[in-house]
Amino acid sequence: MKELLTAKRLLRRIALALIILVLVMLVCSVIGTEKVSLRNVFAGHADGKAANPDYQIFIRVRVPRVILAAIVGAALASAGVVFQALLRNPLAEPYILGISSGAGLGAISAVILGIEWTLLGRSPLAVFAFAGALGTVWLVWFIAKLAKKNKTTTLLLAGVVVNAFFSAVIMLLISVAKSSEFYSTIFWLMGNILEEEFFVLWLAGGFVALAVMALYKISPQLNAMTFGPQDAKNLGINTAAIRTIAFAVASAVTAVAVSLSGLIGFVGLIVPHAVRLLFGADHRQLIPLSAVAGAVFLVAADTIARTIVAPAQMPVGIITAIVGGPFFLVLLIRHTRKSAF
Amino acid sequence: MSIIEIKNLNFSYTAKQPVLRGLTLDVTAGSFLAIVGPNGAGKSTLLNLLSGLLRCSSGTINVDSRSLKSYSSQSLARKIAVVRQQTPPPFGFSVLETVLMARTAFFTSSGFESSEDLSIVDEALRATDTFAFKSRPLTSLSGGERQRVFIARALAQNTSILLLDEPTSFLDLRHQVKIYDLLKVAQVEKSKTIIAATHDINLAAQYADSALLLKPAATHRGESSASSLASCFEYGAVHEVLTPQNVEKTFAVETFVSTVGSERFFLPLGSLAKDRRILSRQNKTDRI
Repeated sequence: MKELLTAKRLLRRIALALIILVLVMLVCSVIGTEKVSLRNVFAGHADGKAANPDYQIFIRVRVPRVILAAIVGAALASAGVVFQALLRNPLAEPYILGISSGAGLGAISAVILGIEWTLLGRSPLAVFAFAGALGTVWLVWFIAKLAKKNKTTTLLLAGVVVNAFFSAVIMLLISVAKSSEFYSTIFWLMGNILEEEFFVLWLAGGFVALAVMALYKISPQLNAMTFGPQDAKNLGINTAAIRTIAFAVASAVTAVAVSLSGLIGFVGLIVPHAVRLLFGADHRQLIPLSAVAGAVFLVAADTIARTIVAPAQMPVGIITAIVGGPFFLVLLIRHTRKSAF
Repeated sequence: MSIIEIKNLNFSYTAKQPVLRGLTLDVTAGSFLAIVGPNGAGKSTLLNLLSGLLRCSSGTINVDSRSLKSYSSQSLARKIAVVRQQTPPPFGFSVLETVLMARTAFFTSSGFESSEDLSIVDEALRATDTFAFKSRPLTSLSGGERQRVFIARALAQNTSILLLDEPTSFLDLRHQVKIYDLLKVAQVEKSKTIIAATHDINLAAQYADSALLLKPAATHRGESSASSLASCFEYGAVHEVLTPQNVEKTFAVETFVSTVGSERFFLPLGSLAKDRRILSRQNKTDRI
């Protein structure tokens, strides 16, 4: 925070972070309930995929899972940064504008309506959760637009209200329609990293990477926008355009994350703050580094989740909450004590 | 040569209460204009109109011979910089990072500051006496120190026009004059046009070339509509506008006027201050 951020410094930090990410992903691919040795993996690869159990587990189960955790972690962390910047609120996180209950409602609706078909190999739960998430954000945005004044507070309030309303609807649906499928839906919603096909990983990973790059491109403007819309406008920023782009990208990326792995909490809240504490608030650094840090965090959390109560698997959302909860409290106390980060 | 031309400007927040009516004036390039007036007269509103945050309901504003409406945010930011009352964001930007944001509008496509940007910012920090705490987080500074940082940011924008809303409201005595000295230097050496809305009519009188006295709508309630339009504001050289009669009538306060050299000073007189004889004031009816 003391020295100036230059292009060189930033590139160096991103490179270092990416190296750490790859190492962590490699290590975590090896850790698990089944012992996998890297030597056997390489042997299996050279052998032309013979019935080498280590190789199968590594390639079919571990690697996709670790990659998915990285993608979702990066998505949630970078979305969290953007929401905190746009809402000028350090307690903001990706689900704050109703995405969580919207996704939940979407998923529950899919179950109730008995939807069976899949899209691109994605389960109906995932598709409807994605639609629910995006639809809810649009609804919150629309409500705030109707109200017209003081954009930020109105958005936050609309988000809170919609979240509460949709949560109530979800409770109602669960209590009225008896379906054994609800258990699995709720479990899914709690946040899980499960194996995915490489096709899906490529698609999602590509989208998240593009989104992070787009957000990086507008990060100088995001810096200015934390001073409020009036100030940002007078500094030459097209605030309306930046807000729309940033909200749209952050919401889309969050919806993708939710449709892939349910509602994993706290990543979008903690990781931006941790990175901010270490590297400062400049979004040109905050966005890429948070994305990588989010990836590392979720890969590690998922590894813990699938090994700590082996052979059972804990939903990763529990681990992030157990780590995140105390951290959040510490943050809250620090914030109220000195109102500076 | 006029850098800002305002013709027949009308603005109101709600339909019933016009804030500015028929405002017409030309601001000469390189001049120092002080906007004075009681609370609610429309000083901040006028600044917000000039900086493009508000749209006037009728009338025209021209900046540098172009209609204000034709400017984009970015192009306007190259002409006009604004300093206003601020709460800092809840994120730990340092002083240097804050002032560097003034260059955001001019960034090259790489998104990083050039060495020219850095030297402009350096100069702005030194001019406002904030260079010493450039690495400190903005939130750790006092209100007055923060004010100076925001002035530095406006200077770093390197514009020909500077709008300031109560620039000395949190500053100690030394820095009050230092900032006005700084603005005067910017005006004289860099040919900047300074427009400052201020409560401090004495400082305004010392430094400004011209003054715009805004009168709130309530003061001409009850006058005929023709004359009420005419008396909404007064614009001219500082000493012609800030006369004892104008000040006492517009601010509805009794003042003690004195001169030091060629400078005229106004002191507001309260009725219950010590050493004042209350009895002789009791018969005077309060205006508003």
